Amino acid sequence: MLNWTLALPEIVLGVSGLFILLGGVIPKKESFFPVSMAVIGALILAAVLVLGQGEGTAFLGQYVADNFSRFAKVLILLGAALGLLLALDFNEKAGLGRFEYPVLMLFATLGMMVMVSANDLMSLYIGLELLSLSLYVIAAFDRDNPRSAEAGLKYFVLGALASGLLLYGASLVYGFAGTTNFDRLADALSGDDVGTGVVVGLVFVLAGLAFKVSAVPFHMWTPDVYEGAPTPVTAFFATAPKVAAIALLMHVLIGPFGDLSAQWMQVIWVCSAGSMILGAFAAIGQRNIKRLMAYSSIGHVGYALMGLAVANDTGYRGVLVYMAIYVVMNLGTFAVLIAMRRRGRALEQVEDLAGLGKTDPAMALWMAVFMFSMAGIPPLAGFFGKLYVFLAAVQGGFWTLAVIGIVTSVIASYYYLRIVKVMYFDAAPDGALDARPASLTVVMASTGLLTLLFFLFPAALIGAAQVAVASLAG
Amino acid sequence: MYVGAIFFPLLGACLAGFFGRWLGDRASMWVTVACMALAAACGLGAFVEVALNGLPGVVPIVTFIDVGGFEVSWALRYDTLSVVMVAMVTFISTLIHIYSVGYMSHDATVPRFFAYLSLFTFMMLMLVTADNLVQLFFGWEGVGLASYLLIGYWYEKESANRAAMKAFIVNRVGDLFFMLGLALTFWTFQSVEFAAIFAGVEAARGVTFLGMPALEVIGVLLFLGACGKSAQLGLHTWLPDAMEGPTPVSALIHAATMVTAGVFLMARMSPVMEYAPLALAIVTVVGATTAFVAATIGCVQNDIKRVIAYSTMSQLGYMFFAAGVGVYQAAIFHLFTHAFFKALLFLGAGSVIHAMSDEQDIRRMGGIWRKIPITYAMMWIGSLALAGVPFFAGYYSKDMVLEVAYAAHSGVGSYAFLMGLLAAFLTAFYSWRLIILTFHGAPRADHHVMEHVHESPPVMLIPLLVLAAGAVVTGFLFYPLFVGAQQEPFWNGAIYTAAHNHVLHDAHEVPAWVPLAPTVVGLAGIALAYALYMFAPGIPGQLAARFDGLYRFLLNKWYFDELYDAIFVRPAQYLARAFWKTGDARLIDGVPNGAADLAVQAARGAVRIQTGRVANYAFAMIIGLVLFVSLLLYGAR
Amino acid sequence: MPAMGMTTAMGDTTEMMAVGLGHYLTVSAILLTLGVLGIFLNRKNVIVILMSVELILLSVTLNLVAFSATLGDLTGQVFAMLILTVAAAEAAIGLAIVVIYFRNRGTIEVEEISTLKG
Repeated sequence: MLNWTLALPEIVLGVSGLFILLGGVIPKKESFFPVSMAVIGALILAAVLVLGQGEGTAFLGQYVADNFSRFAKVLILLGAALGLLLALDFNEKAGLGRFEYPVLMLFATLGMMVMVSANDLMSLYIGLELLSLSLYVIAAFDRDNPRSAEAGLKYFVLGALASGLLLYGASLVYGFAGTTNFDRLADALSGDDVGTGVVVGLVFVLAGLAFKVSAVPFHMWTPDVYEGAPTPVTAFFATAPKVAAIALLMHVLIGPFGDLSAQWMQVIWVCSAGSMILGAFAAIGQRNIKRLMAYSSIGHVGYALMGLAVANDTGYRGVLVYMAIYVVMNLGTFAVLIAMRRRGRALEQVEDLAGLGKTDPAMALWMAVFMFSMAGIPPLAGFFGKLYVFLAAVQGGFWTLAVIGIVTSVIASYYYLRIVKVMYFDAAPDGALDARPASLTVVMASTGLLTLLFFLFPAALIGAAQVAVASLAG
Repeated sequence: MYVGAIFFPLLGACLAGFFGRWLGDRASMWVTVACMALAAACGLGAFVEVALNGLPGVVPIVTFIDVGGFEVSWALRYDTLSVVMVAMVTFISTLIHIYSVGYMSHDATVPRFFAYLSLFTFMMLMLVTADNLVQLFFGWEGVGLASYLLIGYWYEKESANRAAMKAFIVNRVGDLFFMLGLALTFWTFQSVEFAAIFAGVEAARGVTFLGMPALEVIGVLLFLGACGKSAQLGLHTWLPDAMEGPTPVSALIHAATMVTAGVFLMARMSPVMEYAPLALAIVTVVGATTAFVAATIGCVQNDIKRVIAYSTMSQLGYMFFAAGVGVYQAAIFHLFTHAFFKALLFLGAGSVIHAMSDEQDIRRMGGIWRKIPITYAMMWIGSLALAGVPFFAGYYSKDMVLEVAYAAHSGVGSYAFLMGLLAAFLTAFYSWRLIILTFHGAPRADHHVMEHVHESPPVMLIPLLVLAAGAVVTGFLFYPLFVGAQQEPFWNGAIYTAAHNHVLHDAHEVPAWVPLAPTVVGLAGIALAYALYMFAPGIPGQLAARFDGLYRFLLNKWYFDELYDAIFVRPAQYLARAFWKTGDARLIDGVPNGAADLAVQAARGAVRIQTGRVANYAFAMIIGLVLFVSLLLYGAR
Repeated sequence: MPAMGMTTAMGDTTEMMAVGLGHYLTVSAILLTLGVLGIFLNRKNVIVILMSVELILLSVTLNLVAFSATLGDLTGQVFAMLILTVAAAEAAIGLAIVVIYFRNRGTIEVEEISTLKG
C-alpha cells in the first residue's frame, strides 16, 4: 500500500536538499555557486527519475503518479532549473549570492511536485505550504531593500489569508463529504444532490488556488510582489509555481469535483474573463517592465483558464499546451530583463530597453520574438497556445469567452509591440548595456529557438499533453 | 518547380537577413535578386503548366497540426487562380527587387531591406497558395507583419513609425473579423480545408447562425477582414500613410500585391460567396463607394505618392464591385493588369523622386520632362493604362469591370456602374493633373535641385521598361483567357460561378454605348486636366477659392481621420469610466483609430484599484469569494 | 452517513441545548470572520495581521476536530495536527519577514505598506 518507490523523485529531491543544506552551512567563502550547481544537478536527477517513474497511488492514497503529474513535473523542474540558472549571475552582482537561495528554490520545487501529485487534501496542503513558505522567504530575499521586504510582507499576508481560506474550504469539504481523499471524494460527490456545505467548501478551495495562479479577483498581490522582488525571483514566480498551481487546480477540479463541473465552470469563466480583461488593460500604462510582466502573466492565466472553463478534454489539453509555451516564453523574456544592467546597475523600466536593436541586436531579436509570441502572432509558439484554447472554447460553444479572448489579445498586443518599438525605434539614452553573462545567453537562445521553431514540431508537445489529459480524466 | 516558386524567396530572405553582414551589401542584394529570379522562373513555369496546360494540383509539404479533431496540413494549392497570383507576384517582385538595387543603393542597411522584401514575397506566396484558411491566415498575418516592418523601415522618421503602427492596428481590426469568419467557417463546415468547405457549401446553405444564414455571416466577416488588408472605405486610413515606406515597398506591397489579397480572398471563397447574395451586395456597394471617394480625394492631393495611393484604393474598389456582382474573373483580371501599371506608376514616381532629390510634393516640381524623358514616357504609359485609354491594359480590364456591373441588372450593379464611370472620369483627370504638374510648366523647384535632375541608372529603368511592356500588352493578350471566350477552360473550376449567375455572359452583350462610355469619360477627364493645368493654369486656384468648402473637404480626405477622432476617440474618452465599470470590452471591436485612447483610459481605471494597500487587496479577495459563493448558490439552482 | 450525523447533531441543539456540531461550526465561522476582518479592517499594526492569520487557522482546526468527532473518523484530527505544525512554521517566517521590514522602514504600520502600487 505504501508504494514509496513511486515517490522516488520527491524523496531523492528532498534528501538531496537536506544534504545540500548541510553542505551549505559548512562555513566557507564561496558557497553560492557550488550549491546552485548541486541544486541544478538534483533537479535534473529528479527530472530523470520523473521520466522513469511508474504509475499508481502511494502512501495510502495520499499521492498519485500518472502521466498528468509527469507532464507537470517535467515542466516544473525545467522551469525551476532554468530559473536558477537565471539567478546565478544576477545574485552575485546584487549581493544576493547566499547559498540559501538555491536551497529554498529546491524546497519550493519539492513543494510543487508534491502539489501536482497530491491525491488528498492533506498532501495538497503540505505541498502548497512548502511552496508558499519558501516563496515568502525568497520574495523578501533582498533583505536590505525596502521594496523586496515590502513584497515579501505583502505576499506573506495575502498568501496566509489565501491558504487560510483554502483550509477552511477543505475542512468544510471534509466535514460534509466525510473524506479528504480525492478518489473517495469523487465517489461521494457523484450523486445528484450535493449539499450546500460542499459547494461553499469548493468555492473556498477554489479561492485559495486562484490566489496561487493569480486569477482575477485574487490577483492583487501579483503586480506588487513581481515589482518588489529581485528580478530572478520574479522570473521564478512567473513560471514554475504558475504551472504547479494550474496543474493542481485542474487536478482538484477534474478529479474529486469532476461531477460538480456545472458549478465550478461558472466560477472559472468569470475568473478567466476577468483576468484576460485586466491583463490587457492594466498593463498598458506600465513603465516598470516587471510590473508589466505581472499584468501580462495575469492575462496569460486568463487564457489558460479559458480552456479549463470549457471543461472537456480539448480544453484541458489546451491549458497544458498553453502553460508549457507560457513557461518557455516567460523564461526567455526574464532572461532579457535580468540582462538589463548598465554600468553595474540593474534596470527595470521599459525605456531602458531603448536602442537595444542597435546596441545588442541579438538580444533585441530574442526579445522581439518573445514579445511577438506573447502577442500571439503566428507562426510563433504563443499563437499556438492561444489557438488551442480558443479552438476549445469555440467548439464548446463558449463564444462570449472566445470573443473576449480575441479582443483582449488584440489590445494586449499593443503593449507587447510597444516594447518592440522602444527597442528598435527609440534612441538609446546612454550607451549600451553591460555584457551579458553566458548563462543568460543560453537561456535566451534555447527558449527563443523553442518559441520560434515550435510550429515545425507541434505534435510532440500536443501529443504529450493529450496523453496527460487522458490519464487525468480517465 | 511548384515548391521552388514559394521557397526561393524565403531562402533569399534568410540569406540576406542572417548572413547579410557577412555577405556584404552588394552580395546580399544580388543573392536575393537571384533567388527571386529563380522563383519567377518557377512561377512562370507553373503558370504554363497549371493554367495553360490545365493541370492543377496540390503539393503537400507537411502535416502541420495533426492532433484532435483539428487537422491542418500545409500544402500548396496550385490551381489557375493561385498560379495567376504566383506568376504575377514573383514576376513583379523580381522587377522590384532589381529596381531596389538602384533605388536603395545609398541606404545604410541594405541587407535588412532586401530580407524584408523577400520575406514579404514569401508570405504573399504562402497566402495565395494556401490550401486551407488557417494557412491563408498565416500568410495574411505574415504579409501584415512584413508590411509593418517595411513601412517603418526608416525608423528614424517619427512619421514612418506612426504610419507603421497605424497600418498594423487598423489591419488587426480587419484581422479580428477575419478570425471570427474563420471560426464561424470551422463551426459551419467542421473543417478549414478549401476542398472540404467547397464540397460542403450545398449542405451548409440551410445552416443558420444566430438566426442569420451562416454563409451570409461568413461572407460579411471575411469581407470585413478583406477591407482591412485592401483598404476599403472605413478601414482605408492606413494606406495613404503607408506611403512613408520606401517607394519600391509602395509599389510591391501597397499597389501590386498585398492590398489585392482581399480581392483574392473573395475570389478564393467564391463558392461560398456565390450563395451569400446579401454579402455580395455589401461588397458591391462598399467597393463602388470606395472607387468614387478615393478618386475624388486623389484629385486634390499634392504628394505624388499619395495621389497614386488613392488611385490604388480607387482601383481596388473596382475589383471589389466586380467581385460583388459575381464576376470574380473580371476582378482578378483587373487585379492582374493593375499590378503591372500601378507598379509602373509607383516605380516611375520613385524615379521622379530620385531625380528631384527626394522631393515628393508635385507643387514643387514641373518642367523636367526634357531632363528625364524615359521616366516621362513611362509615366505616360502607366497613366494611359490607368485611365483606360483603348488598347492599353487598363482599357480591357476596366471596361470589363464596368460592363459586368452594368450587366448585373440590379440596383447595386447600376450604382456600381455609375460610381465606376464617375471614378473613371476623375481617374483620368488626376492622372494627367499629376503628369502635367510634375513634368510640364515652369520649374518650381529651386535651381540646386534642378541642376541635379538626372535620369535614373539602367538598373532602375529596365524594370520600368518591362513593366511598361506589361502595361501595354497584358490587356489584349490575356483578355480571352481571363474573361473572354476561353475563360471556362482557363479557370478550370478555380473560380466558381453558380448556375444562376449569368453576369459574365451577359456582359458581352451589353448595348454598344456601355463599352464606349469609359473611354469617352476617360478622354474627357484627360481633356479637362489639360484645359485646367496646361492651358489655363489660373483656373484651378480660382476654383479652389470659389468652392473652398468642397476643396477643403477633399483635401482633408473627406475628414475620415477627423471623423474617427470625433466619433470614436472623444466619446470613448468620455465613456471610458462607465466602460470600465460595465467591463464591456465589445465596444473596442469597431473602433479602429480610437482603440488606443480607449484602452489607455481603461488602463487607468484598472490601475486605480491597485492601491498598494494590503487591506484593499484582502477586501477584493473576500468580495470575490462572496461573489462566487452567491454565483453558485443562486446562479446554479 | 455524514449527512445523518449532522442532522442528529443539529436536532440535539434545538431540544436539549447540548453542544453539537452546529455550535462548533458557528464558533469557527465567527473566528474565521474575525480573522478576515482583522486583516482588512486593521489599520494599525502588522502583528495584528499575524494574529488574525492564526485566528483563521484556529477556526479551521476547530472545524476539523469537530467534524472528526462527529464523523468518528480520525482523518480530521491528523489534518489538524498537520495544520498546527505548519502554522508554527508560518508564524516564524511571518515574524522574520516583519523584522526585515521593520529594519528597512522603521515602522510596521499597515498604512505605510503601500509604496508598491499602480
